[in-house]
Amino acid sequence: METNEDKQAFEPKVVAFLCNWCSYAGADSAGISRLKSPANILPIRVMCSGRVSPEMILRAFRSGADGVMVLGCHIGDCHYIDANHRTVKRVTLLQNLLGYTGINPDRLVLDWVSSSEGPKFAKVTRKFVEKVRELGPMAEEMGKSLPASKINVLVEEVTG
Amino acid sequence: MIQEIRDLVSEKLKKLDGVVALRKTDQGTAPTLFQEGDDVSQLVLEPRYPVAKTVSKLQKRFKDAKFGVVARGCDTRALVEMVKRHQIDPDRLYIVGMACSEEQAETCYCAEPAPDLDPWPEADLVGDPVPGAPPNPMVAEYENLSREERWDFWNQQFTKCIKCYGCRDICPVCFCDACSLEDPLWVEPGLLVPDFPMYHLIKAMHMTTRCVACRQCETACPAGIPLTVLYDLIRKDVGNLIGYIPGADADSGPPLSLTLADAPIDSELAK
Repeated sequence: METNEDKQAFEPKVVAFLCNWCSYAGADSAGISRLKSPANILPIRVMCSGRVSPEMILRAFRSGADGVMVLGCHIGDCHYIDANHRTVKRVTLLQNLLGYTGINPDRLVLDWVSSSEGPKFAKVTRKFVEKVRELGPMAEEMGKSLPASKINVLVEEVTG
Repeated sequence: MIQEIRDLVSEKLKKLDGVVALRKTDQGTAPTLFQEGDDVSQLVLEPRYPVAKTVSKLQKRFKDAKFGVVARGCDTRALVEMVKRHQIDPDRLYIVGMACSEEQAETCYCAEPAPDLDPWPEADLVGDPVPGAPPNPMVAEYENLSREERWDFWNQQFTKCIKCYGCRDICPVCFCDACSLEDPLWVEPGLLVPDFPMYHLIKAMHMTTRCVACRQCETACPAGIPLTVLYDLIRKDVGNLIGYIPGADADSGPPLSLTLADAPIDSELAK
């Protein structure tokens, strides 16, 4: 039985892929403005949010991240003109795919943070960490097994 | 139907450098390049086997040759996706389209059992096209499951995986020389039941905009993992969000490689 104290003790680990030109500078800007952003974020600087492959996001989860953020330039502001157009399609589809396999899609978030948007960086990171804290540890979500449920019936149906 | 195809192939062999089709010998059945003078009575249509990758490899090896191929509906869809990804030259390909029967369509839950010959400069159809079969009822059933039930289901399925790479090898649209599924950076070698289903999630993600619903992966899987339930769901998403149906339209490019102007997605973040 999970107690309230356990929930309190859980500090989410969040990997954030930040684009070099906007979001990484946005994080800097948040720091310079002395805005509080959670220490749960592990930033990984990439040259473009378009560089973030689904493999990288999945590996972050495999390595124990409870949540993954992909932050990049706003559409139209991409340093590489339209590379982030691919990011939005890729991450949206990956979120859906996670949902279909039963991994909470809310654990992956995509947002745009420009280099001047320090306050937005602080806000989206804070909101996301709170969200992941509510969801609880990833390991718990994945280890949780259902008792004899309709799943077994379904498995039998599929495999004959 | 088989005789009609054999006759057509032997006639076309006079002009073509070869025709890719299944050949049945004492050793078994496999895709082969039939050439003029070969015994076309060995040409068979069953079992269903994807030919797109064989065609691609032959075209790359013989740069000036013009080949033919005996293709079903799923094969032509796969060939279209391969053309878009510059793996097949449509001008050097002749297609013998083979219309699947109603029973075959039902077994595959195939929405388009008739080969689409419009995109091809040179093609003939053999057999009578039948309408599409109803979709896999498992998919609708699966959509009603809660998140916990879904995870439990796939966890059980992925645990059965023996990582034989059969689903990738048979896939008619998986062609990369360097495969991330073989890269220890992404998929840990020697680990059969990983903590996190990297192999299957990466495979599914790579299938999003190219899976032509041929269901060969599921047929090939020795563990009986119902992969197409997952792929059908993401195919539906790609259709709803981006309006793209892999293999259907030869003129629209792979949407994940295009800008939002060329392939928009229905998302708040895309504005």
